Order: sequence, then C-alpha cells, then structure tokens
Amino acid sequence: MKIPLRVLLSVTPLILGVAAALALPALQVQVPVLIFRADLRNLILILTGLASLVLLACALRDWQLAERQRQALEEALRQQEQARRRFLRRLDHEVKNPLTAMRAALANLEDAGQEQPRPVKDINLQVERLSQLVGDLRKLAELEERPLERLPVDLNDLLAEVVEMALSQPAYAGRELHLVVSKVPWPLPPVTGDRDLLWLVFYNLVDNALKYSERKHIVEVRAQEDGRAVTVEVADNGPGIPPADLERIFEELYRGVNARGIEGSGLGLALAQRIIQRHGGSLRVRSRAGPGEPGGVVFTVRLPL
Amino acid sequence: MENRPRILLADDETAITSNLAPFLERAGFHVHVASDGQSALEQIAQYSPELVVLDVLMPRMDGREVLRRLRQAGNWTPVLLLTQVGEAAERAMALEEGADDYLNKPFDPQELSARIRAVLRRARPGQPSLASAWRLSCGSDDPARPPLLLDRRARRASLGDAALALTPKAFALLEYLMTHPDEMLTRERLLDAVWGWDYPAGTRTVDTRMAELRRLLQDNAENPVYIETTPGEGYRFVGRVQPLP
Repeated sequence: MKIPLRVLLSVTPLILGVAAALALPALQVQVPVLIFRADLRNLILILTGLASLVLLACALRDWQLAERQRQALEEALRQQEQARRRFLRRLDHEVKNPLTAMRAALANLEDAGQEQPRPVKDINLQVERLSQLVGDLRKLAELEERPLERLPVDLNDLLAEVVEMALSQPAYAGRELHLVVSKVPWPLPPVTGDRDLLWLVFYNLVDNALKYSERKHIVEVRAQEDGRAVTVEVADNGPGIPPADLERIFEELYRGVNARGIEGSGLGLALAQRIIQRHGGSLRVRSRAGPGEPGGVVFTVRLPL
Repeated sequence: MENRPRILLADDETAITSNLAPFLERAGFHVHVASDGQSALEQIAQYSPELVVLDVLMPRMDGREVLRRLRQAGNWTPVLLLTQVGEAAERAMALEEGADDYLNKPFDPQELSARIRAVLRRARPGQPSLASAWRLSCGSDDPARPPLLLDRRARRASLGDAALALTPKAFALLEYLMTHPDEMLTRERLLDAVWGWDYPAGTRTVDTRMAELRRLLQDNAENPVYIETTPGEGYRFVGRVQPLP
C-alpha cells in the first residue's frame, strides 16, 4: 500500500523528535511557563508528537472535505447526465409522431403515381434521414437498459473478422490495414461479454480509422494482454483529431472539424464508449494533431479479464 | 360485398390517421379509424376487423390495455402494435401479451402495409397466433428428421429429444424466425427485432449467427429445410410451424 505524501509529512516532526531524543544525552531542563523540570528528550518527544497529531488531524479533515466535494461533483455530473438523457428521450418521443405523419403524407403523394418533382424527392430523403437519426438515438438509449449477454468472447477470431470485413468493403479495397495480435507465450484469453456488441465497437473504430485517413495512410489493429485486461489499439497515421475535438468526440452527434463533409451519424463513438463501459472497460483516445504535429490517432480499448 | 380486408387503425394523432388511412385504403384495405383506446374496443366489437393497428400511447386507454382486454376476452384478432417508447423490454412484453407484430415509429408506410399483409397471411381466424403460442413445433417431409421444437417459456429448443445448445441470442433469433414463418426478413429487421440495434455494420452479425443456427439445426443453406437465404434481400423461415398446446 502506498502511504500518501501528506501522511509522511505529518509524521516527520515525530520522526525528527525521536531521532533527536535518541541523539541527545539525558538533561533536566526547566520547562518554560510551567513550574516543573522535565527530561529534554521526553519534552521533545511530546512536542513533536503533538505537532504530528495536529498535522495528521488537518490532513484527515482536508481529505474528508475533498472526498465530500468529489462525491458532490460526481452526483452533479450523474444528474446532469440523466437530465441530458431524459431530454434526448423526450425529444425523440415528440419528434416521432410528426415524422410518422410526414412519412404517411409523403407516401400518399407517391401513390398518386406520377413522377415526383425534385423538391418532394428531397423532402422524402431528408425525412428518412431524420427518422434514421431518431431511431439511432433511441437505440443508443436502449443499450443502457438491455441485459448484456455475458459469454466468453474470443477476440483473436473477432478482430480477424473485423479486419476481413473492412477490407472487403469496396471503398477500402487495397488499403493498408494490419492486424497484430500477440500470440506468444499464449494467445489472447477470452473476455466476457456480448460478442455482437464488441464486434460493432471494433468495426466502428476500424471503419473510422479508414474513413478519416487517406489511401497513403496505414491503419494498425493490435491486441495484447497483461493478465488483468486485454488492450486493443486501433491506430492510424492519418491527419489526426485536433485537441479541441478530442474531448468531445465521444458525445452523441458531435462531429469534429475533420469529420465534416464525411458521411456519418455522429453516434458511432458514443455507441462504442457506451458498449465498452457496460463491459466494465474503458475507451480512450490519443492524437497528435496540433500545429506542426505529425498527426495520427490511437484508440485504446481496455477490457477486463 | 366488400372483400378487401377490414382493418382498424387506432392512433390519437389525427395527422397520422388522416394520412395513413387513405394510404392503406389505396394499398387495398378497408380502413376504420379510432382515436383512443376506448373507441378502438368499441369499434372492434362493432365491425370485427380482420386486423387492428394499435398505437401504444393513447388517451382514455392505452394500446397495451386494449390488447390485454381483447386477449382476456378470447378475441384473437391479429394486432400490430405501433410502439412509441420503443424500449426493448416494452416490445418483448407486447409480444408476450399477444401482439402479432410491432413497428417502431416513425416507420415507412410501405413497411406497415407489408407487415399487415404478412400478419393477415399467417392469421388463423379465431385462433391464437404463433406469436402468442408458448410452444412451437416445425416438422419436415424428411421422415428421418425429428421435429424442431421450441419452448419459449423455458428458452429451450430441441430437435426431437436432442436439446440444441443455443446461445441466448441464437435462441431469440430462432424464436423470431419461427414466429414469422414465410416472411422475408431483412437483416436490418432481424437486427432491430432480435438485437435491438441496426447499425449498418451489424448485418454481418446476422449472417454469423444465422450460420451458427444452421449448423446446430443441421440445415443446409443450399437445400434448406428451415432457413432460406435470398441473396441481397434476407432470410425466410420456410418450415411449417405449428403451435403446440
């Protein structure tokens, strides 16, 4: 166990006092203010001991205060998160009926049989897009409540499948995508979870890496374990994510400056993070995309064993 | 004599009913409209429609309560629920309470009319539907092949006496297939119904699980007894499914 620095500092007077008491010869001195005489060594021990006690008490009080503040902050964050989700759900709910009515109305126009004018076609497309978005948001919210399948998942297979699937997409044909899975001294042990959801996470990360980089860039998927967790990294040497975007990319519907103009729902990473969190793991990102930086992104998934 | 199927459309949003009713009329149905649960029940009694499209959230009596009362009264008119909240648990409950199918708002009206047709095709007048039977069986022409049995309450499936070692997901998939026989099921729809999400990348997931299911069922994709693949479209359960008492 690590002893906090603060505790060490607090007991320093006592340690010094003990050292001094050991070093000094026995000597009776007159205690100032008080009327009796005492052994100097005892006096030093008592005084330094008292000093240490006071310091320890202060440390304890500060620690308790910090703990209380941390709890209050966590509670506030949790409530904020809940309020945000409630809002999303209500919005979703209120948007559904008008959208359903619009789609029915549009279907009636379509049924009239003639070739549709361009604006009607556009409205149709956009209404479909909105419906998709509403549906995706709902499914994201649903992930929180759905029971999670908890079965052994072989990541060796799963990652190979993800890479194969990505390379089979016409848009990514011929891209440089490498899979490095540690095999020595043993293959990756299975993690516990929902294979289909984990598949979705890794496919999302690989798809993002390919989508937001160019043909000349390399994407690498690497996996290893350290006895407590499996770490899977999806890395690319593409343009990277600017620092201002980095902390926001896991939010629903957030799209970074580099993502504009590239098709996407803005939900993939939010989804990935939600899934990994539900597996008791973590999803982190590092990037070097500041001015003069070389670029590149690494997404790191850690799944407990 | 009217021979178009009579359906009742119950939804409290007039913007929806006033557009959906003419659409469904043109799609070949005779449509009655109800704007709340109470009047839905009254109209079902009055017109005995062949199918009811029921919105879940309605004033005066919600769709689930209408469904419950119908089934309690032994009325097995097929019901297609329009789920609003769209939560997975809610949908599962809807099917357990005897809905024949459900559709999440906002839906494609074409999809609604396709679903209505599918439910009508499966319906056996006056009898509980496959979706509300707890045990299902599927025989085959091959005498050497034992019947496929599905016990939905116990979440168990077997080929004759041999239990199938299905993962929960594979069981749910088989359950959906067997309660929607002879219907073209797209990968997107299966994802939505069984997995609860249908992100584009997920279609591969369906194929993987379907392969797992076929292997366990000893079903040959080339010459299927149970699950037929239509390239570019989806899957269809082609076995003859019967409810068991």
